[in-house]
Amino acid sequence: MFDFNKRDAAAKDDDFYPNDEAAMETGSPQPAPARQAATSGRREAAVIGPSIHINGDLRGEEDLIIEGEVKGTVNLKHNALTIGSQGKVTADVYANSINVDGFMEGDLYGAERISIRKTAEVRGNIISPRVSLEDGARFKGSIEMDPESEALQKAFADNRGNGKTTAFPGKQAGSGDSKPAASPESTASSSPDTTAQAAKGGTAG
Amino acid sequence: MSAVSTAVGRNEPLAPEALKAPLFVSLAEKMLAGGRWVVLDLGPAQAATIGFLNQFRCRLEIADLPVSIESLNAEADKAQCRQLAESVLPACSSEPVDMVLCWDLLNYLQRPALTAVMAEIAGRAQPGTLVHALIVYSGKQMPERPGPYYPVWEADDDALTSTRLANIRMTSRECEAPRYTPDDLAHCMSDYRIERAKLLSNGMQEFLFHL
Repeated sequence: MFDFNKRDAAAKDDDFYPNDEAAMETGSPQPAPARQAATSGRREAAVIGPSIHINGDLRGEEDLIIEGEVKGTVNLKHNALTIGSQGKVTADVYANSINVDGFMEGDLYGAERISIRKTAEVRGNIISPRVSLEDGARFKGSIEMDPESEALQKAFADNRGNGKTTAFPGKQAGSGDSKPAASPESTASSSPDTTAQAAKGGTAG
Repeated sequence: MSAVSTAVGRNEPLAPEALKAPLFVSLAEKMLAGGRWVVLDLGPAQAATIGFLNQFRCRLEIADLPVSIESLNAEADKAQCRQLAESVLPACSSEPVDMVLCWDLLNYLQRPALTAVMAEIAGRAQPGTLVHALIVYSGKQMPERPGPYYPVWEADDDALTSTRLANIRMTSRECEAPRYTPDDLAHCMSDYRIERAKLLSNGMQEFLFHL
């Protein structure tokens, strides 16, 4: 059943940075605000500056701001990532929350939330239970908004297993199937049903 | 229960010019009934559309077709046009498309491009897939460039009480509208059947096709 309150689609980023709200002010080309966090006792975000180019796998256990160029993969499954307005990322990206102001090509996996700002240009797929996009942003690809989707479950399976489970705000799964009538053959071959079935027996919401 | 009255994603009340589009409402009602949906939006990414679809279990594919309309219309060769249509649409996924939101974009595609794009979509869809489109019907002119459509809606605790479509006009310049007839559409979209059609207050005809 539809529950308007179960998903705050218009939620802004006041709770976007779980570890460092003040530090990760975005929209500014200068990452200086990140430094302020240190004085408030919070852990500051690491910054990849505009002149830095990285090729390869990037992993970590702290929040990160990318203002430089990164190619490969980015894996910060328990932390917040910001691709700043000068940032250019060509990679598959995994993070707890992701904020994009710059250029991004590849798939974005956000365990909790992904926010695409108006200055962003994104080509690829977005997989997250909460997605927001500002008008003006350029985006081409797909947005997976189903918290029970197989892609999301797989991408953050280890988050769930180690007690750092993200509470996926959920649209209820398996509440019937009102899809357009299809021939028995096509229904049998449609993969969404696999996900739906898994969700019915899974941990909805 | 108190009603929530909002137009999520735009943070504004229902625009007075917002269109009543009963066939779009019928699509929203189908989604409300449950199940997972794969939705292909031919338009550009719109915050309001994403906000609207965020209420449902779905995957949204965004084609941003307006940036490619010119090149699609310029391609004279059928095979090349089909190839271009394939590259313009989001990459094929393992899940077939269940619903296609064309908004007013079919008006801007010339017949060969329209045929190529809809045939390419049919290859990614499955029998029963629904296609929603707005076709200029009574007016001879239309805006020179398509302006994005987006849903505006009100909802209470467990139902959409009002769903309409709003449009941002991108230019005051106009061009001649193709005024595709149902026969034209049937010819260009031979894989699809017209399920329902409604004349709207802005002179457009709202179509719901199914594959």
